[in-house]
Amino acid sequence: MSTERADAKKAVAAGPEHVQVRMSGLERVGARLPLHHYLGRLWRYRDFIFFEARASVGTRNRNNLLGNVWLVLTPLLNGLTYFLVFGVLLQTSRGVENYLGFLVIGVFMFQFTSRCVTQGANSLVANRAVVKAFDFPRAAMPISAVLKELLAFLPALVMMILLILVLPDQEQITWRWLLLVPILFLQVLLGLGIGLILARWVSRVRDVAQLITFGIRLWLYGSGVFYSVERFVSHPDILAILELNPMHQVLTMARESLLYGTSPGWDNWLILGGWAVGLALVGTLVFWRADEKYGKEETR
Amino acid sequence: MTSVPKKRLEMSDVDDDDDEDDQLDPSEGRTASAGDADETAAEVAPADRGANPALVLDGISMTFKVASAKAELQGRLPWHKRIVYGAVRREPRVSVYALEQFSLVVGTGESLGVVGRNGSGKTTLSRIIAGKLTPTTGQVWARSTPQMLGVSPALVPSISGRQNIILGCLAMGMPRAEVMARLPEIEEAAGLGDAIHLPMETYSSGMGGRLRFAIATSKNPDILVLDEALNTGDAQFRDRSKARMEKLREQAGAVVLVSHNAKQITSSCTRVLWLDAGRVIADGETEDTMYNYRKYNWLLAKQRLEEAEEFIMGLRRQYRRVEIVRA
Repeated sequence: MSTERADAKKAVAAGPEHVQVRMSGLERVGARLPLHHYLGRLWRYRDFIFFEARASVGTRNRNNLLGNVWLVLTPLLNGLTYFLVFGVLLQTSRGVENYLGFLVIGVFMFQFTSRCVTQGANSLVANRAVVKAFDFPRAAMPISAVLKELLAFLPALVMMILLILVLPDQEQITWRWLLLVPILFLQVLLGLGIGLILARWVSRVRDVAQLITFGIRLWLYGSGVFYSVERFVSHPDILAILELNPMHQVLTMARESLLYGTSPGWDNWLILGGWAVGLALVGTLVFWRADEKYGKEETR
Repeated sequence: MTSVPKKRLEMSDVDDDDDEDDQLDPSEGRTASAGDADETAAEVAPADRGANPALVLDGISMTFKVASAKAELQGRLPWHKRIVYGAVRREPRVSVYALEQFSLVVGTGESLGVVGRNGSGKTTLSRIIAGKLTPTTGQVWARSTPQMLGVSPALVPSISGRQNIILGCLAMGMPRAEVMARLPEIEEAAGLGDAIHLPMETYSSGMGGRLRFAIATSKNPDILVLDEALNTGDAQFRDRSKARMEKLREQAGAVVLVSHNAKQITSSCTRVLWLDAGRVIADGETEDTMYNYRKYNWLLAKQRLEEAEEFIMGLRRQYRRVEIVRA
């Protein structure tokens, strides 16, 4: 017993054992990659992103009797609601040429962005099982969520075009309809950028998800989805601010190209492009900077 | 005080968690007091670990801040906090010291067993090593990202088993062509038959476990972290998964095995780390460490608590702290 005590004392007296470790070839577990490596890795996970998006978009409405018909039905019913409230009751349609087409574009396209933003923002939390289980660049989740929304939007987009062609004030197809492709592209970038930023916040503080709903509603009213902003806002400063709203630009540009036979001006492209590219870049940066923290257990 | 009863150690009535294999070999009835740990050479000599390291834990520790429902804590809060916490229904936080700071080097070719009672910090340690948990202090360095097996990758319930396999393999960074080429083999390993086409939410927990196991073991990891919760499935599957595990372990460059199963540790680990209440009790050669560990559990089971406490403290005093010198 006493020798044991002595041994113990010896161990303590000897102090810690210093172990020389050759650190070359070792990397820190969970360390965040430099941005260019991160993006390279993200590119190598493109198959994962596509598969994730494709696999779950087909099952979203599986438990509904009408299944994927809801992809088209939801914006349609939304449009009908807005038509009854704003077009018939409040008469915001006065002075708007082809109000039905105007409303259809507004509702369908705004809903797309709204879903991109909310789904992108919630993607890490909603898929936390996958995020926790595997070690992949986390930006794959918001990107996949936005891709999912894009895939789900395609049938709605076809429906939107059919409605524009069929509803009264029938429009003719012109070359300008092709402008919808770059407009949609910028719209996707915009939604992705905002989704990436919000995804980081939501993963830190869940409560942010509750606030997004209100933010989107405010955005909806400020984007002229079911009324013409120019007709109701007379104050020049407020009008100028609303003009800077990228979603207002998306809707205006789509309506000009599809309904009114005019090409969007360079200022429209500049405002929308600036927001879309800028937010996508900022979003990537903001998201990447916290990449090592996603999917870890809360230790607050 | 730490002298061992000279009689044969009868361990049959030991209730060491759920471990039935934990029998002390009576023929081994030696009186291993804490002091006489004879240094049998491990597969990797300690000095070589630093020269050819696979995994380095440099001063890691873990403190959790968790909500406590203890009523007295509520009363001790200042009044303004009590109001705020009451409004958001937040309970006061207490610090739980899950792991006390320590360092460790696992050399290439070593397999490290981690033992300890429930709540000793084993699982916390394995999650830190696998990068699932950021330690409060310290860093983990590794030759390649350690792959954790056991805490099962929960997958997407709404899609089919096959789609889950593809998704899981892609998420592990396997190229798509390889996933498609190996799909039949992985499906075979899961052994689900036609159920592979059904959505995963329709699976029984055993079936889900098999699918997850098949996905998780489809890749040969260089550094493998195994947590004990691997006893899913029926007997047939257990044998198969055991064989698969053995193969993975042999191929891995380094293994960390967290287990209650003393037999498994003794048969497959070259070295054992013993944790108790978040502290390192011993880090040494398998046979001696496991002998001491079993003896401690035996003392506990016999309700000789004071003796057990003395014994473990004696061992703890002998453990020599490691400090990493980066070269």
